[in-house]
Amino acid sequence: MFDRTNLQVLANHARAAAENMAHTLHRTAHSAFVKETQDFTVMLMDRSGATFAVPMELGATWYPGLSYHRAITMVGDYRPGDVAFTNDPYSGHVATHAPDTHLWKPVFIDGEIVAWTGGHIHNTDMGGAVPASLSRALTEIHQEGIRFPPMKLVREGVFDEMILRIMSTNVRKPELNIGDIKALVGALNTGERKIQAMVRKFGKAGFIEGVAALLDQAEAQARDVLRAMPDGTWEFVDYADEDSVEANPCRLKLTLTIKGDEAVLDFTGSDPQLGSSLNVPSGGDPRHTMLLVGVYYVLYTLNPKLLLNTGLTRPFTCITPQGSVLNPVHPAAVGMRSLTCARLRSVIFGAFSQAVPERLPAAPAGNNCIVNVMTVDERTSRSVIAAVNPVVGGGGAMPHRDGTNGSGADAAYLKNTPIEITETETPVEFVKYGLAKDSGGAGRWRGGLATEMAFRVFAPDSRITARNRDRSFFRPWGVLGGKAAGLSDMVVNPGTAHEKWLGNIDTAVLHPGDVLEIRSAGGGGRGDPHQREPWRVAQDVRRGYVSSAAAERDYGVIIHDGAVDELATGQLRARHRPAASHFHFGPERDGYEAHWTPAAYDRLHAILDALPIHWRFFAKTEIFRRMEGRSGPDGVQAAFDAACERFPELPRPQPVPQAAE
Amino acid sequence: MDGAIAAGEAQNGADWKVGVDIGGTFIDFCALEANSGRVASLKVLTTPDDPGAELMMGLTLLAEREGFDPSRMTRFVHGTTVGINTIIQRKGARLALFTNAGFEDVIELARLRMPEMYSLFCSRPDPLISRDMVFGIPARLRADGSECQAPDMTAVESAVAMAKANGAQGIIVSFLHAWRNSAQEASVKAAIARLAPELFVFTSAEVWPVIREYERSSTAILNGYVHPRVSGYLTALEEGLRSCGVPARPMLTKSNGGLMNAAEGKRACVNMLLSGTASGVIGASWLARQAGQDKVLTLDIGGTSADFALIIGGEPQFGTGEVIGEFPLHIPSVAVSSIGVGGGSIASVDAQGVLRVGPESAGSTPGPACYGRGGERATVTDAMVVCGWLGHTEMAYGQLRIHRELAQRAIGELAAQLGRTVEQAAQAIFDIAVSEMFVEVEKLASRAGVDLRDFTLMPFGGGGPMLGAFLARELGMNRVMAPRRPGVVSALGGLVADLRGDFIRTIFSSLSAASLPVIREAFEALAQEGRDWLAAQGHDAAAELNLSCDMRYVGQSYEIEVALSPQWLVDGDAATIAQAFHLTHQQLYDFHDPDGAIELVNVRLSAIGAGPSLSLPEIDEIDVPANPARRLPVYTGLSIESVDLHDRRTLVPGNTFHGPAVVVQEDTTFAIPAGAKARVDRHLNLLLTFME
Repeated sequence: MFDRTNLQVLANHARAAAENMAHTLHRTAHSAFVKETQDFTVMLMDRSGATFAVPMELGATWYPGLSYHRAITMVGDYRPGDVAFTNDPYSGHVATHAPDTHLWKPVFIDGEIVAWTGGHIHNTDMGGAVPASLSRALTEIHQEGIRFPPMKLVREGVFDEMILRIMSTNVRKPELNIGDIKALVGALNTGERKIQAMVRKFGKAGFIEGVAALLDQAEAQARDVLRAMPDGTWEFVDYADEDSVEANPCRLKLTLTIKGDEAVLDFTGSDPQLGSSLNVPSGGDPRHTMLLVGVYYVLYTLNPKLLLNTGLTRPFTCITPQGSVLNPVHPAAVGMRSLTCARLRSVIFGAFSQAVPERLPAAPAGNNCIVNVMTVDERTSRSVIAAVNPVVGGGGAMPHRDGTNGSGADAAYLKNTPIEITETETPVEFVKYGLAKDSGGAGRWRGGLATEMAFRVFAPDSRITARNRDRSFFRPWGVLGGKAAGLSDMVVNPGTAHEKWLGNIDTAVLHPGDVLEIRSAGGGGRGDPHQREPWRVAQDVRRGYVSSAAAERDYGVIIHDGAVDELATGQLRARHRPAASHFHFGPERDGYEAHWTPAAYDRLHAILDALPIHWRFFAKTEIFRRMEGRSGPDGVQAAFDAACERFPELPRPQPVPQAAE
Repeated sequence: MDGAIAAGEAQNGADWKVGVDIGGTFIDFCALEANSGRVASLKVLTTPDDPGAELMMGLTLLAEREGFDPSRMTRFVHGTTVGINTIIQRKGARLALFTNAGFEDVIELARLRMPEMYSLFCSRPDPLISRDMVFGIPARLRADGSECQAPDMTAVESAVAMAKANGAQGIIVSFLHAWRNSAQEASVKAAIARLAPELFVFTSAEVWPVIREYERSSTAILNGYVHPRVSGYLTALEEGLRSCGVPARPMLTKSNGGLMNAAEGKRACVNMLLSGTASGVIGASWLARQAGQDKVLTLDIGGTSADFALIIGGEPQFGTGEVIGEFPLHIPSVAVSSIGVGGGSIASVDAQGVLRVGPESAGSTPGPACYGRGGERATVTDAMVVCGWLGHTEMAYGQLRIHRELAQRAIGELAAQLGRTVEQAAQAIFDIAVSEMFVEVEKLASRAGVDLRDFTLMPFGGGGPMLGAFLARELGMNRVMAPRRPGVVSALGGLVADLRGDFIRTIFSSLSAASLPVIREAFEALAQEGRDWLAAQGHDAAAELNLSCDMRYVGQSYEIEVALSPQWLVDGDAATIAQAFHLTHQQLYDFHDPDGAIELVNVRLSAIGAGPSLSLPEIDEIDVPANPARRLPVYTGLSIESVDLHDRRTLVPGNTFHGPAVVVQEDTTFAIPAGAKARVDRHLNLLLTFME
């Protein structure tokens, strides 16, 4: 048993090694994806391949609970100096879309593997149907680029040139991929050296026991957080606006059961796997790190001293039915799983919010929209492709303060590009970049405001992509009387005769002189807005965060000439009846769920689950197509019957169990 | 530095040069009499309320104790925390920001990314100017500097009226693309001067005319925010010195490690925000050069934090983006990494029974338990006292007494929770504190891409020598160099510093023969600015003008600074400039792209006026074992050993001894672990080497 008095020393050495790897990779990588977006991870792993240390300042936040175990065992006969890799989302369930290339390296001491170093980079492109290998419209994994199942990339220190040549032949920016992969190998070597130094300091047995103790410590911390929560079962549902080009909602459902110091996350009832690239390839792993990212946020928020490693995942069991959007089967496309993952996090936040309402915030905006422009520079006649800015929204209102404006919560890692840099490099001219008034959910604590960005292009056929757009229909929810936030939006030429609303569409083609305005959603509010101090509401009005109309309508505060009219406010507030429900979703979702009741969804799932997996998305789409004027379980059944009439080949399922209704 | 001598002719009468540095706990004085080479140092406890008065008191004490004569003071160099404290305590000026309509949220959005990215409660700091004091003025420049929309002066007029009505003391004007064309800002500044002459105004381009609107605005705001307090403080200081009969005009240490005069300091306040940490590294670099040490890692441990910096080739490293309170500072600064672990960091046992150190700190008030000033919780300093490394003499020039029994009691409580002896618990606290610093230094080294095994660790500050040798061991470093007076290295840094002004022009063009004339023009304009600046500082000797460019490969979103020879510009030699960039890129990032197109973002110039030429006297080393003053019991990790205690005053060049040992002196205590061989060098530095 490792001496716990010294555990923090070991934890610090492990973290130093991880930070060292991250800085080495960040410093030597070639692509903007790694250097700027910081879409990479590095980690130290125990003998089984379970992560025991990650960096805290650089990189993405998704993989502290990742285990490489399955991928490691798919490659045998490791020798010192070997590095293995994969980017195949369907082999070993380490990679989660094709651009993410994961590498791992054994650390030998006296001929024995005592640990692994590993990590991933997001390659700018892995080939396939579209540049950057990512599009919501793609329908099978084969369109998303070349895939390498787990295999050795470096043998005893020597790169396998054949693999590099195959990759270079198949991708659009080979020099970036190869440069980044070599930088990651450099980082793994650094990690290996640091682990060897740790073994010298702590001894081989001491190191191995210490690593086990670090995992146990994180597990104990996670269990302590769970134990402080009441036992119980909570359900929560949230939707992505569109499941594919068919534009039907994608529903994620979670039944969270907390018992003592353990929790079960049952995602049964989530939509079947989609005919688009929004699927999340978890492989059905009950502790897959992608399923638990929302849990990391909850745990870390409740205990900021949390050690981030695989130990955290031990008290949790996830259930993801095979063939569902959270456990798709080959060859479902998965490239844009990050959109679904954002919704997956908000489903988890919503479930935990019911368990510990006093301690967690309302929904963050949850649409981490990345905007790219393809246009022609009129000065040089050259075509230009450039990332503009992420358009992300505010954080959810917290128990002790307003949500952060413009970004925050689970999107806090994103960085913007200065307007001056973009305008100098790219032929676009910004009209606006700032916060959107009245976009934060009203509440005792207000949700963070949305970001609003508008820019003009000058060349014909300027193409815009706005990846990960969502929340244009289903609002970020408010809690405990707080209101849902403003919706995201995309409009061409707002306020002119040529105005065109684009809804949830994530691409646009602009004409010369056109202005595109993109707005994110805001963060949800928390607590009864009528409980917000009038001076704070007045301050929001002075700051332009809230209009005086909204101050009156949402907060019951009447403002004249910048000052609170105490008397009128008192009278208005006296008539207020606080909301009774835990969540506020807004009229769109309330309206949608008036037809698509829980019972209707139960019927839908009963129908779809009985179909072979490759029929389910087709059947879902055909049912939605026939829901006009129908609602509830009977409406779903009637729609399905109508679909069967049109498509007699549709396999008729076994009789629906009656218990569901 | 006892007996340091100034180069140049000895003159009749005393010639005192004084460096004064104000930190969180102490004001440090380092005074040098240039004819005799005599050095006097002093520490005075400070309270945050009135550092100016204590400074004058310190000068009086120095006069009484050391026979220093204020009327013979020819140089007075001062580093102060008044600016940075104004920001940390948010007690600065009430400001308004005038910026482009449509972009009013520039300072709130900042660069979006937040620290603590795993927490749903993460946040950015509240801006120093709240949104209701930000006024959007219809105005717009294009990226090429041409005007798309002239500033709407009616809007300016009403904004000034609103700002005044809301109590603004000053206005910051920051418009998009002012890095390319500052005319819009200037015209609005002139209009404000007409409309409200009582308000001070700073424009973003006059403070630091660099591309990137958030960084430029935020730098101008920091400048305006501290301006009234800094300028009031400096005026009082000038008067104080005059009333003491000091002939020297005060010079101020800057974040860039150089100096400026007080008049400049009142206007360009933002330049002195990091003066203390920067001059520490300057002092350390000077000591390193004197000792012939090329590569040094400095470690300055105070009560609440530890600062680290790399010295390479005897020179400090520069960077932008150093953090001031909660805000990044975007002017060139001596690069210093900081971590919130120091002598006052508090140890505790968490819910899972794991011992931790920090981030809470007992600071200077109440301070560690052993100070006997009301602190009851166990700190790193208490752990050192319990182990026996610390507390054998009075500390800080007799202003602190160590209460060993209070340290025992504080650590004892934790020991009971852990089921350990009090010494074991103390050792664990000490090991954890060292490991926290280890994380930070490892990050620094990997960012810089250096191998610390090539470096010498130089501990200074009150706490550096306490933990430095142990940290060196942890980092695999084999050499430690402790200067003779570690407590006043920052004050010394001011004494030896040069005048230094930094100037920048954003060019943003591709690197080619065709763009060279533009660069040359910028360089010539900057050179003139630099010479004018030095002249305004009262410097009439030769000027050193260092030219560099910030460059990058097309498509990258950050630049690296590359030193250029002006001759390359004269010769129109774009290929040599490209080659210099490739080489620097290779050194920093381990790769370069010989075919990559290069973009030139900024042209930079540093104008340097050399400071006094000083050097340490050399005393021949005579190999002789040092005589310990006495022996004392120290817990060295496994058992209590009898350890030699040396008095630093009695150590002479050539003295050698072995660790474990303790060296005491008036401003710090140096803990020397087992396995170290100590030797006093010809400059009275104490050098440790560890055997592999």
